[in-house]
Amino acid sequence: MSELDAKPTKGQPLSGIKVADFSWFGAGPICAESLATFGATVVRVESESHLDGLRAVGPFPPGKNTYNVSGYFNNYNAGKLDLTLNLSTERGKQMADKLIAWADIFITNFTPRIIERWGLLYEHLVELRPDIIAVYQPMQGYDGPHKYFMGFGAVLSPITGYNELCGFPNRPPMGVGTNYPDYVINPGHTLVAILAALHHRKKTGKGQRIELAQIESSVAPLAPAVMDYTVNGRIETRRGNHLPHAAPHGAFRCRDNEWNGQPEDRWCAIAVFDDAQWLAMVEAMGSPAWTKDERFGSHAGRKQHEDELDAKISEWTADRTAEDVMAVMQARGVPAGVVQNARDMLEDEHLKARGYYVYLDHPEAGVTAYDGPPFRLSKTPGVLRSPAPLLGQHNELVCKEILGMNDEEIAEALIEQALY
Amino acid sequence: MAEAALSDIRVLDLAGEIGVYATKLLADLGADVIRIEPPAAAGGAGRDPVRDVGPFYHDEESPERSLYFFNLNTSKRGITLDITKPEGRAVFEQLAAKADVVVETFHPGYMDEIGLGYAALSKINPGMIVTSVTGFGQSGPHAQYRWSDIVGVAMGGMMTLAGDKQDPPNLPYGYQGYIGAGIQAACGTLMALMHRDNTGQGQHVDVSMQEALSINQETAMQTFDMTKAIRTRTGARGALPVDIPGIGVYEASDGHIFAYLGTPGGAPWTEMLAWMQDTGRAEDLGESPYVDVINELNMRFLTQLVGLASSDPAKLQDTLKALAHLSEVFVRFCKSMSKWTLYEEGQKRRLMFGIVSTPEDLAKNPQLEYRQWLQDVRHDELNETLRYAGPPYRLSETPWAIRQRAPLPGEHNTDVLVNDLGMAQQDVERLQAQGVI
Repeated sequence: MSELDAKPTKGQPLSGIKVADFSWFGAGPICAESLATFGATVVRVESESHLDGLRAVGPFPPGKNTYNVSGYFNNYNAGKLDLTLNLSTERGKQMADKLIAWADIFITNFTPRIIERWGLLYEHLVELRPDIIAVYQPMQGYDGPHKYFMGFGAVLSPITGYNELCGFPNRPPMGVGTNYPDYVINPGHTLVAILAALHHRKKTGKGQRIELAQIESSVAPLAPAVMDYTVNGRIETRRGNHLPHAAPHGAFRCRDNEWNGQPEDRWCAIAVFDDAQWLAMVEAMGSPAWTKDERFGSHAGRKQHEDELDAKISEWTADRTAEDVMAVMQARGVPAGVVQNARDMLEDEHLKARGYYVYLDHPEAGVTAYDGPPFRLSKTPGVLRSPAPLLGQHNELVCKEILGMNDEEIAEALIEQALY
Repeated sequence: MAEAALSDIRVLDLAGEIGVYATKLLADLGADVIRIEPPAAAGGAGRDPVRDVGPFYHDEESPERSLYFFNLNTSKRGITLDITKPEGRAVFEQLAAKADVVVETFHPGYMDEIGLGYAALSKINPGMIVTSVTGFGQSGPHAQYRWSDIVGVAMGGMMTLAGDKQDPPNLPYGYQGYIGAGIQAACGTLMALMHRDNTGQGQHVDVSMQEALSINQETAMQTFDMTKAIRTRTGARGALPVDIPGIGVYEASDGHIFAYLGTPGGAPWTEMLAWMQDTGRAEDLGESPYVDVINELNMRFLTQLVGLASSDPAKLQDTLKALAHLSEVFVRFCKSMSKWTLYEEGQKRRLMFGIVSTPEDLAKNPQLEYRQWLQDVRHDELNETLRYAGPPYRLSETPWAIRQRAPLPGEHNTDVLVNDLGMAQQDVERLQAQGVI
């Protein structure tokens, strides 16, 4: 890959759109990566003075651990140009202003405290670029009593209700095992807002300010639980893998696998919502005698005796592989799927046939897997044009071609540690 | 009200649960979304399945009382139309000629079978964007696999990461598979709209729930790709090998609190000790050896602990003992305070606390209240105003807004067929008699 691969595209939905990506960690960079994937020119701004924490967190390829090879960071930053700017310096601020004047879209998820210190509030940005779409992703918002509260995905998830609501009732509220809102919920909502604003700008010539308070964006999908309280006064809590309108519904233990000499537990999810699916499931299991039990003959009965039903099904799944259980169920039209781990995902024949994961050759990390575009457009498919950039990889290119600096000015910026 | 961002866009919404969050996002940004439900005459299986999902208004299990449906269909108009009948198909084609987007969630190939696939619709309307949202996408060996939310989170790699090792992998609450697919579908639809704004060309958008969720695996995919190690569910302690005081979930006097003390940007453990001392709950932590450990306690210190295992096992044992005591005192501290006090007072001291919010806490959150996040929506048919969850984002020029409550079945049949399509009233009545609408 050459540097030119990250330069302007033709014929893509966002060809000609320029993005100043002043974000870090997950919610901002993932959104900006989607803009690059569909044709925008994205300049990711970083600094060694406040390094993106994901560059320091693994995974790293065996034997390597520099800031440039983190799989966590690289997966969210493909297709971007990278500029290191120290915004604590006067020249760094001036260069940031120039970049913002060039940009159609500005995006940041730094805290209001930092954005105020750097002077990157909307009022300043519109002076540089009157029709800019300026996107802020604060944790709590730019006003209100909790404006300056700290947080990141791991804390956001409990604050927004996911931990209380996910899991089994006999366990403490521990969430879903990841910094969940960082990866689809918040970057995805942000992308929706940006694209709507671009459409509006096309119609009217006007830009605008977008504020996605991560607390608000993360609670929005939990609206039914919120309304169950505001309307019915019920305080919903976690209730495991069951659903009120389905039975059986859950993950069923299948035959253990062996991986690296250790047993590996394997599970298959099965979901039955109506009698037709139940009858299909019974057939898929070879119609064992216990399924004739009249208690299991109706949804109400299956629901009432769901623990016993789960135990019976688990006996049947226990000596079959998860893949067999899925195949047998699916052959009869019963929704079922292996609880896939990352190995299953990367080796999934279906995802391979669709070419979902993309392998890019990175100058330091080597050939590694990236998540592909999360949606497919028949005429303008998204393309990961280049692997994630090295820290400051495009300093010279951006300084010259975008910021219009000459060699002397670049040298001064280096000496003053503005390019840093 | 200011002009909405998508006020010039009309969407025909055929989406089931897997895609209906997408059309809600478009509707609340001002698109004219017409939700198309099968008419009651089409029989039980013809009901809009989204109406069958709870919670329900005052627990009345009726298709017109689903809060789940209410939330997912704000700002939309609604018609009933049987698109499997030739007369219904003709009406749909007339609608398609005047629409910009169709969102559908049938099994791949179904829309083609009934003559309403992308190829047919693009002949009627070359600018048409058709967004298809399914479990596994339009192509590939699993394209015809049946899906539900749990199948998506299982096959998409999320579920394996959630829960305690002693339990089955956990289902994330609230149909997160459908939500993720819906968000990506809204993104894909609007991305296709960008292309149409540039060229006038429509296209077919293919969203697979499995692919939509993959990036939720956090580092699991890259970890296996790079190191062949498999991330799995690790329970409440997470990936930490021992209990670290101030990291994880703790009991408060009235619920739970999450703490992540000592992260960069936040205050160190010494500030925690100061708070404990200010409130008279520090016990002996101000004394040696505990205060010495507290003075050193940060991420680097914890990393170095691992090294002590070989270099100085005795020191490691002493340190672990001190940490265990810190944990006990910290547990007692949390247990003696309310979750809101821990959250708000802790954050004021720049200690990383996060309340484990229940739905009640969300509804009473002072920050959300200050920002007037919850939305009151009038339901004349219930003679009541219901309180909804608010906007995921705030656009200064083109605000998000719930423009009207979700439609009743067939509420806008006349409005759409007569006012928009210019049909005669008697033709509408004929269609009704035929069970088409």
